[in-house]
Amino acid sequence: MDRLLNVLIRLKDLDRRVLFIFVALAVAIPVLKPMGLPIRSSRESVDFHRELTSLKAGDTILFSFDYDPQTRAELDPMTRVIWTTCFEKGVKIIALTLYPGGVGVADEISKELAEIHGKTYGEDYLFLGYNPDWSGTMLRLGESFRKTYPTDQLGRETGSFPIMENVDSYADTPLLVSVSSSAMAEYWAIWAGGKFGQKVITGNTAIQAVLVYPYYYSGQISGFLGGLKGAAELEMLTGQIGAATRGMDSQTTGHVLMVVFILLGNVAFLAERLRKRRAA
Amino acid sequence: MKQTAPLIFGFVIGMIMFLQYFIPHPPFTTAYSTVLDWKQVVFGMTLILGILSLLRYHMKHVQRRSSSWRYSVVTLVGFLVMVLGAAVQGTDRGVYSWFFDHVQSPMQSTMFALLAFYVASASYRAFRARSLEAALLLIAGIIVMLGRVPVGDIVQLDVAGTELSLSTISTWILDVPNLATKRGILIGVGLGIVATALKILLGIERTYLGKGA
Repeated sequence: MDRLLNVLIRLKDLDRRVLFIFVALAVAIPVLKPMGLPIRSSRESVDFHRELTSLKAGDTILFSFDYDPQTRAELDPMTRVIWTTCFEKGVKIIALTLYPGGVGVADEISKELAEIHGKTYGEDYLFLGYNPDWSGTMLRLGESFRKTYPTDQLGRETGSFPIMENVDSYADTPLLVSVSSSAMAEYWAIWAGGKFGQKVITGNTAIQAVLVYPYYYSGQISGFLGGLKGAAELEMLTGQIGAATRGMDSQTTGHVLMVVFILLGNVAFLAERLRKRRAA
Repeated sequence: MKQTAPLIFGFVIGMIMFLQYFIPHPPFTTAYSTVLDWKQVVFGMTLILGILSLLRYHMKHVQRRSSSWRYSVVTLVGFLVMVLGAAVQGTDRGVYSWFFDHVQSPMQSTMFALLAFYVASASYRAFRARSLEAALLLIAGIIVMLGRVPVGDIVQLDVAGTELSLSTISTWILDVPNLATKRGILIGVGLGIVATALKILLGIERTYLGKGA
């Protein structure tokens, strides 16, 4: 018994480099050899998809890139599906970012997808750029898009673009999509939704998604995607299988490994406690 | 005067911003719009202030050759290259765009990805069932972790004679205890904001005026 306890207690001092190797393998192997685990859609993803697909050709939506390169792996897949769905449906997109690092992300994704779908800048989509005062920006957009952003990212007059012809406030955009790695999604719901009645749907990192539930159940957010799983669910719903679906296998093995580590750590902890009790 | 003027100013502007919610007509709408314009200007100025402070801090480090001065040189060079690149060639091409795509983006992604390794290590060492509360947290954490990935739909548990998948239990944890707790916190925060705003408007809370107010 003592020998068993000693072995279990020794687990406590496992070199963290061993753990790192296991994590690396758990994440890498499914990328090389996919398992194709089934993905079931959650209620919030179905709602998100319904709002997105209920848009009609010619509608213009607001899209906020509320993230920077740190969370691209988790959030880029949902952004790509949303933009692709809009472009395929003929929905126009006015994009902006409240993150300085979001400029590069927005620039890259918008140009790439516009090229694939043959969309024209200024007619089918527009990138307004970065504005540092996030709460002021959300409030001012309710008054006038043109006044909030007199010029686009490259300094051209916002009002001169055809996409802005009949659009100047939340009243003219049937939907606002925020893909966010922070509390920005909540603030859009509070400022744009609460004060101006703008319909809001959000894509969030898995950590942030937990905080969005109260806004979803109160109806302030009409649908949301939680992390890579949410993105994979949207990919399934739209039939655009991509990086998120492929990443779910890795995420699964990563989570399972983490749970195994936690259980092993607790076994070592309980063994140590048992030995102390026996010694006393 | 040094104290009275900011107090009066705070009261007047605060009241205008409060009343404009209920009176959406001029002159309140005009005042509201002007305050939002000013807010943006002030916010922009704080950014400049932050940048100047950052530059001063790192320049001092370099001048004094303090322990990590080489990192300060990297910060200063990185700052200058990005600012000048964006100012001269724009943000969609040239130096700024190249550094964003090939330096900033992979570096930030790498830093974030490393979290997975540290979280694994930290949870192995620290996530212990030391008490009943900690054990409950541990069980809930494990269920949500597994319930948020496809394996959660495959694993079934017998809960009071009913077969439930881990993802169903995970959804219940997020929908009920998590939602209730978050709502409680939000209501508390909301009430706190109202109380603090009232205290500032009425001049009871004066810490924003600085020491000795």
